[in-house]
Amino acid sequence: MCVCCPEVSRRSLLIGGAAAAAALTTGVAQARVLPRDMVPLVGPGYRPTEKDEQGIWQLMDRAEEEISGSNLLITDPKLTGYLRDIIGRVGGPAAKDFRIYLAHIPDFNAMMFPTGFAVVFSGLLLRMRNEAQLAGVIAHESGHFLRRHMIRSWRDQKRKTDIFAIAAMAAGVGGAAGGVYLGDYVQLAQLGTILSLFQYSRAMEAEADAMGAKNMADAGYAPIEMANIWEQLIGEDAALSSNWKCWSAPRSSSPPTCWWDFSCKRRRRGSLFDTHPSEGSRMVDLRADAAEVTVPGRQYETGRERYLARIGAIRPMLLDDQVKLNDPGASQYLIETLAQDGWNGLLRFYEGEVWRLRNRHGDDLRAAQSYAAAVAYPDAPADAWRWHAISLMKAGRTGEARIAFTRYLTMKPDASDAAWVRQMIG
Amino acid sequence: MVAFLGGCPMRKMGLALAFATAVPLSGCVQTRQFADLQFTPPQGDYKLLVLRPDVSVGSLTTGGMVDPRADWTDQARANIIAALRAQQAARGGKVQILEHRNQVPGVTEQEAADFERLFSAVGNSIVLHKYLGDYLPTKRGKGLEYTLGEDAVRLGQKSGYDYALFLHAEDSVASTGRVALGVLGLAGCFVGFCAPNVGGSSQLDYAGLVDLKTGEVVWFNVVQAGSQVPGISFGDLRTPQGSAQMVERLLGRMKPGLAVRRAAAESH
Repeated sequence: MCVCCPEVSRRSLLIGGAAAAAALTTGVAQARVLPRDMVPLVGPGYRPTEKDEQGIWQLMDRAEEEISGSNLLITDPKLTGYLRDIIGRVGGPAAKDFRIYLAHIPDFNAMMFPTGFAVVFSGLLLRMRNEAQLAGVIAHESGHFLRRHMIRSWRDQKRKTDIFAIAAMAAGVGGAAGGVYLGDYVQLAQLGTILSLFQYSRAMEAEADAMGAKNMADAGYAPIEMANIWEQLIGEDAALSSNWKCWSAPRSSSPPTCWWDFSCKRRRRGSLFDTHPSEGSRMVDLRADAAEVTVPGRQYETGRERYLARIGAIRPMLLDDQVKLNDPGASQYLIETLAQDGWNGLLRFYEGEVWRLRNRHGDDLRAAQSYAAAVAYPDAPADAWRWHAISLMKAGRTGEARIAFTRYLTMKPDASDAAWVRQMIG
Repeated sequence: MVAFLGGCPMRKMGLALAFATAVPLSGCVQTRQFADLQFTPPQGDYKLLVLRPDVSVGSLTTGGMVDPRADWTDQARANIIAALRAQQAARGGKVQILEHRNQVPGVTEQEAADFERLFSAVGNSIVLHKYLGDYLPTKRGKGLEYTLGEDAVRLGQKSGYDYALFLHAEDSVASTGRVALGVLGLAGCFVGFCAPNVGGSSQLDYAGLVDLKTGEVVWFNVVQAGSQVPGISFGDLRTPQGSAQMVERLLGRMKPGLAVRRAAAESH
């Protein structure tokens, strides 16, 4: 009988190993998650009942206390109220429970925390071309909450690390299991560590997309706008200035890859769009989702006018933040994307700023052209007149420059450089 | 990660550590404090404000993740506050321990929050440059040279307190699964694969004292405790005894600054 013993143990080891490997692998090449299959897993007023989720909620309440009192927040009630209205429309059964904060950070990001509060970065408001796009992002984030992704992902990670620890130990490679001994004062940054753990698998992102598309369409927003955001994002990534790509990565014949370190622009890590493999396939899925949730004959809105009216006041600030990131490629791409809905003085002015700040050979002329184009629009900001005047001055057209400077002072009589400008006018 | 049995890689080892090394395969406690050169531990008639203690307790899963537990955290926080009260009562100072940010007299909740955040940033720098190894040549031999600046002085004036104490404690308790994993590793020793030290319960506590007359951080201490072997514990914050032990380790032996100690030694 005993001859079969090694046979059996080898087979059981293989089975065990395969099971462990399967458990450690997150889904690859999944079929599209269908919006119609997406049922919210939480109802109104949801509270956790299990110990592990209660523990996470307690920590997250602390995090919310910090975030809600942060001086990075934009607290203009007109804007925060707007965001609250939108999440109230696309938030499904938890619509009334969500809190939403707007952080003044010029990056493309939004995140949902496990307890149902969301943080939207101001850079997102710059990129959205209409209310439906903004609602799409918020609906996606709400989808994470409605499908209980945080706790599912947390439990999944616990399960995987448990299996890994046992498997590693049982397989006799126990050294690998000891990687968590304290010796690590970095735990001081505890909050950051916790947040980094909530990274969703691609399967969960797909669920959030599907859930979001459904809620968006139910609320009457054009669901195709979600796919459009994705398209804009891919374009922006491709337009990232080369100096933001991995210039310090080893030179090889392979195309530049983005390592997530300081040599790269660390975009969207742990964020809304943190699934950079198969960006194209996600866009395809989003288009299919949009087709599925669209009811023939029903009217869907993009809400562009309302969007511009609500964020118009901060748009100069958003553009200014973006341009000062000193990433001319992405800034130019963004400005051109926004200009698909029509050029105006503000966009032309910031286009000029992109060139002026890049300051390569010939950029001064490009900038001068943009400033000149900007002041032809009635909404040209005062600074457009100022830089237009300076460009004219440099070109030797002092007479026209004086007129432009005068216009600048009329628009901004108490400008900090008023004395200098008056002197230039002479 | 340091994988050896029973010892600790710290230069300055406390009494508890000496005890730990005497018992191989046991827990390990490290403590190291820094003080302003001119620091004298507060005694007698001082008024101390203890900011809301930042406590979290979780369960160490088999795989080594820390699962936060709300009930344990609440329990530990209550124990720590009680232990702090008892300990400070013995020192003679007048103490208020905050449970909410809006309890500082004469100071708004937002100001208290800003103060906590400022300390958190400065505290992180202290840990980075005094404990983590990124030592600054300009700060060598100068004790603790950090300040919260004018804001802290203003907070002192508004609230009428002499000192502010910040306290952070995090504890992870080895779960049954984690202990079993250690047992499995230990059992492996009999067949030639020996890995009992996968890492068990661990605790990280730190405290900082701010002189509200000058705004300076005058004293800072970190206590790290951990057992490499799951199943061995060393003061569980969920119990009153464990919390009292932690508070004593952290705050019990507050040493005066180097200049003060030197002067005392010379006068003898």
